[in-house]
Amino acid sequence: MILHAVTSELRKYFTTRMWWGMAAGIVAAAALFTGFLAFVFIRLAPEAGGPGMPATEVDPVQLANSVYTAGLSVAYVLMLTIGVLQIGAEYRHKTITATFLTTPKRLQALGAKVIALIGIAIINGLLSIITAVVVGAVMMQALGADPFPSNEVFRTMALSLLVLAVWALIGLGVGILIPNQVAALIIAVGVAWIVEPLVSLGLSFWEWGAQHIVQFLPTQATSAAINTVDSLNAGAAKLSWWGGTLTLLAYAVVLAGLGIWRAAREDVS
Amino acid sequence: MARAGWIEPMTQTDLTTRVRGERIEIAGLTKHFGAFKAVDNLTFSVEPGRITGFLGPNGAGKTTTLRMLLGLVRPTSGTASIGGHQYADLPNPLGTVGSALEATGFHPGRSGRNHLRVMAAAAGIPDSRVDEMLELTGIPAAANQRAGGYSMGMRQRLGLAAALLGDPDVLILDEPANGLDPEGIRWLRGFLRHLAGEGRTILVSSHMLSEVEQTIDDLVIIANGTLVRQGPIAELTGGQGSYVRTSDNDRLIGALRIADVTCHIDAEGHLVAETSDMRLIGDVALRAGLPIWELKEKRSDLEDLYFSLTEGTNRNLGESHAEPGWAPAERDAVIGQEGANE
Repeated sequence: MILHAVTSELRKYFTTRMWWGMAAGIVAAAALFTGFLAFVFIRLAPEAGGPGMPATEVDPVQLANSVYTAGLSVAYVLMLTIGVLQIGAEYRHKTITATFLTTPKRLQALGAKVIALIGIAIINGLLSIITAVVVGAVMMQALGADPFPSNEVFRTMALSLLVLAVWALIGLGVGILIPNQVAALIIAVGVAWIVEPLVSLGLSFWEWGAQHIVQFLPTQATSAAINTVDSLNAGAAKLSWWGGTLTLLAYAVVLAGLGIWRAAREDVS
Repeated sequence: MARAGWIEPMTQTDLTTRVRGERIEIAGLTKHFGAFKAVDNLTFSVEPGRITGFLGPNGAGKTTTLRMLLGLVRPTSGTASIGGHQYADLPNPLGTVGSALEATGFHPGRSGRNHLRVMAAAAGIPDSRVDEMLELTGIPAAANQRAGGYSMGMRQRLGLAAALLGDPDVLILDEPANGLDPEGIRWLRGFLRHLAGEGRTILVSSHMLSEVEQTIDDLVIIANGTLVRQGPIAELTGGQGSYVRTSDNDRLIGALRIADVTCHIDAEGHLVAETSDMRLIGDVALRAGLPIWELKEKRSDLEDLYFSLTEGTNRNLGESHAEPGWAPAERDAVIGQEGANE
């Protein structure tokens, strides 16, 4: 039964110390970044017409979206990490043997991992949103901005849960395709945090690349999905929220799909 | 089970001493890793209610065979089944087969008890069963600590608790005596004997004959990934015997026959008395007035056979699926490489 296997996967996650470390990191990131961003956008942006910066009016919906998802850039990398570890730790500590012995139908065992990761992403995502709303709404109110300018804000919140789940599944795929846990972690986080920003920065000097490639990179697709204020690549093309969501989903389907296809076949020794 | 009316009365006894084991059937099982034959056309069976030793030098292909039986490694050809089913097709895997493959599979940050709870959840087994198994294997308190600090003996016991979690009909243990202290080994022997007495099928792998000799009923020996010998241990070890050298073989044979000891002359012309009671041989010879020039224990063929197998293959100690080096020139490179991976 796949439900049994999902319960087993959730027990795996909640029986090591990692889970509350991750939850604490996600909550702390949400509180800090939300507070910081609310302060910067509302307090400093209107006066930023000064040196170097064009005096653009910030859309209040994008502003609210940005504030509530400010911690997401940390949260999705942590979910990526959780995804990698969900399978990487099993390879590293050879518990994958016990997993496949208790659930010998491998697609079922791996499907349970996917479902459990989605559940874990929702739990962590809700923690992140609740923290961000508590901190962000209070600050926006205090600083004279509308905390809930449109229903689109709630769509963004729901999509941020989806974004977290998708990044966790990307992690699962990477964790299987690079069976060395440490290498998988370094490569996954390195690509998300260092390689991708450098690549999009490099591409921004090449007009065709800036218009046609950058928007499909995973981090850009993520910020498109949750429709935040873009500060870095102001001139670049940007996907619509659903285009960003679909692009991210495609990454997850391809990476997790390839990983599951491989793990279902591979010898476990 | 009642195929005919007259069996009816027996069915009653059948239920109390229920035969609950399943037969393990390995047929033509082969696994190649590249050009390298880890297991080569292996065929044997394991019967319920008996403890079967699965013996072979390190690198003979034991672990690969067990992993194929458990659906973890895909055979190149051939089949391995339990009660007629492939492992992956068992409706209740943990309730049918319990296995402990090497004592390494624990997350160091998770307690032993939680490791079992993770497995129990997947098999729909209640947590109370987890605590029962921890009691049974003698580690109820220690199992609440994180597994990173466990001794080898603790890991073996936890592995055994995991294997027993589903109250399985078939028990497969890979080198279960490794890391156990002498007291632990004695406990394990008694425990396995008890489980086999309940009719379960028990397969125990080992690379040391002496380790399992006293525990097992049947023996399967493999080397080079192929079957060397299979059968009940009593049959394989044959009768115990003693070499005797005296002045007149025929007279001693006659005298020993009266004392109910049969003798034969072996291929090299040595007189072998089929008893290990050297005192009896000496007494008989004294009464017959014959000198004893030499009297020594004859080691069983099995031990000699197994010794020659291990002798020839100890170059790849610790290697789990490399083939023993009976053709060293050809294989050295492969073995060296495989060894480095481990």
